[in-house]
Amino acid sequence: MRGSDLAMHGNGKIPVTVLSGFLGSGKTSLLGKALRQGMLRNTAVIVNEFGKIGLDHHLLSRVEERTVLLGGGCVCCSTREDLVAAFLELLHKASHDGRRPDRVVIETTGLADPSPIWFTVLRHPVLQHHFDVGRIVVTVDAVNGLMHLDRHAESIKQAAVADLIVLTKTDIASEAAIRRLESRLRAINPAAEMIRAKPDDPEVSGIFSDRAIRPSSRAALEPYAAVSASPHSGGTRSLSVRFDRPLDWNAFGLWLSMLLHARGVDILRVKGHLDLGGDGPVLLNGVQHIIHPPEHLDAWPNEERCSKIVFIMNEIEPERVMDSLIAFQHVLGAAPERLANAEFEC
Amino acid sequence: MCVLCSGFVVQEHWTDARRHRQQDGSTVTVGGSESRDRRRERWMRMKLANAVLQVCGLKLDDWNGSKYILRDVKGAAEIVQDWGELWPAVQKLLRRPLDPLDADFLARLKAAGRRS
Repeated sequence: MRGSDLAMHGNGKIPVTVLSGFLGSGKTSLLGKALRQGMLRNTAVIVNEFGKIGLDHHLLSRVEERTVLLGGGCVCCSTREDLVAAFLELLHKASHDGRRPDRVVIETTGLADPSPIWFTVLRHPVLQHHFDVGRIVVTVDAVNGLMHLDRHAESIKQAAVADLIVLTKTDIASEAAIRRLESRLRAINPAAEMIRAKPDDPEVSGIFSDRAIRPSSRAALEPYAAVSASPHSGGTRSLSVRFDRPLDWNAFGLWLSMLLHARGVDILRVKGHLDLGGDGPVLLNGVQHIIHPPEHLDAWPNEERCSKIVFIMNEIEPERVMDSLIAFQHVLGAAPERLANAEFEC
Repeated sequence: MCVLCSGFVVQEHWTDARRHRQQDGSTVTVGGSESRDRRRERWMRMKLANAVLQVCGLKLDDWNGSKYILRDVKGAAEIVQDWGELWPAVQKLLRRPLDPLDADFLARLKAAGRRS
């Protein structure tokens, strides 16, 4: 999946990184540290609240969260009017003084849902031509993270939609507790990269730029495939699938669009790369009802050519999705094979 | 393709062929072939969609290469632009969303697959 982060912004649009995380999980500290490192000088930062830790940055703006529900009434397909105004102001400034930001970082409130941000950036008639969604970065507190996951559905959803999970306060948590938390997060979201933020890490600004980052060693994690069905991951279930031969793009689009129409609210995340028989893979990336325009790459990163997709779902049993893919295999042109989540990286 | 009515020109007349200079400096002769490719693609999509929709008594037809018409057996019809509009239209005609995780629907789809 690392390729998707790198490939996504080859279109000249300004990438938007979403920084989310539960209350007190260290979002602002992480962002403040990254901003002080100087690499993000030309980054526009949008925050919902100034908070106790003052952020000192010349491109800082504050917004009051205003979500406008559209006709369908589903929360993920709603526009954040506050962000639209902030983004349009950025464009206005850029056209005035010619200083176009290299990227935008949005720090959400601790209880915010990142999916309306995707919807706003990808569907707004003006913004979609200037901005593109980048990583969803989620901070999880190594000391209280497990407790938040147990008690707050918002915390589980944030972990489920993350592209990158940053464990904070690892210096004051025991190694065993961090391992438990990592296994738990892996069970919720097998597709996310996970790193431990160390105090004074010189690489911390890399989290917000488009550079590849060093994930924690996967080998060090406890097996999480077995954990994924545990009731401790809330209602969140994940499914990793591989297909035995190239997929028919039209047929896959038909199936996925039908699934997202009927169940989009509960499909928290879909990520993967598809082999459609061409020279390179097609990167698939979606949050609930919203699918990022698929990226067609020119070449495969390595020898293995296959389609792999991970679904992170709320209250949907993975077996039901497998049954559906099996029933559709004569339409799709390829048979699915369920993977242990550990095998997801191609 | 006619920009007013979106009608396709299947037969390529000799006056339609033109040479275009590409970015790398080479030239290429173009005519109505793009229109035929697009029409083939739409036909493939419609065939796939109908393999699924027939299970619940719906049928998708092409309208002049620009829109799809979704019909049920009682004659009710919806105009569909793309697959973003297809599933809401299916829901309107069936009065419920078509759920690919629904066991009954999958059983009927499998049976239809075996028959074909």
